[in-house]
Amino acid sequence: MVHTLAEIRRVLVPNGLLIDIRPLMDRWQIEVTSMREIRQTGRVQDFPVGLADDEAANHAIAQASANGWFSGGNQEYFPYCYSWDTPAEMEEWIDTEWEDFVALDEETKRVTRSAWALGDADARVRLQVKMLIARWNVLKGS
Amino acid sequence: MTLQSDPERKESKHLHKFADFTGKRVLEVGCGEGRMTWQYTKETHTTIGIDLDTGALRVARADRASDLEHNVLFTASASEYLPFSKETFDIAILAWSL
Repeated sequence: MVHTLAEIRRVLVPNGLLIDIRPLMDRWQIEVTSMREIRQTGRVQDFPVGLADDEAANHAIAQASANGWFSGGNQEYFPYCYSWDTPAEMEEWIDTEWEDFVALDEETKRVTRSAWALGDADARVRLQVKMLIARWNVLKGS
Repeated sequence: MTLQSDPERKESKHLHKFADFTGKRVLEVGCGEGRMTWQYTKETHTTIGIDLDTGALRVARADRASDLEHNVLFTASASEYLPFSKETFDIAILAWSL
């Protein structure tokens, strides 16, 4: 990761901009939503590998900053939402696309299915991924 | 499956809050199928997306509008050894890839 940041610094012009945008493991919230209401039904379980990836990325950025390669680091967090028609579709997505990073426990599955089944006709299942966006200015010439 | 992602386009709004892409030369690291690329690339001078997933890059190229063929390019490359000269880009985006 630090090597990637060194390469990015090399190909950026002086005062060029690095935008780091990525999801962060944070036991993402699951909700059943409709036009009328939003019901929180649980959170995903984070696997250690995802947490380790976040830590490694944060460490690489900190190292690059300490090396004097970048300055600034203004950052914000925002939710990136995924939504599905049914809980089964969400479960399938998590099992096939994110199986290395997160999982659902049985209680969260049960509560989500129940809330969706008892919900309004337009009820959907939504998962809010926590996103980080950070802006760094490249430093050169020293 | 009826998956919807980021229906409020918060990612795009934050990208544009953090950078002005107008007339800029942009490198996107980890572009995948170009999902993020299409959110800003029409404003840029040039955009180059890199990824190691050649299948995803094929999708990105197939989705590229004809009027963007000359200023939006996708190439297979590792981020640790970027095949570009120094000081080629104004903006680099680490797109879900650090």
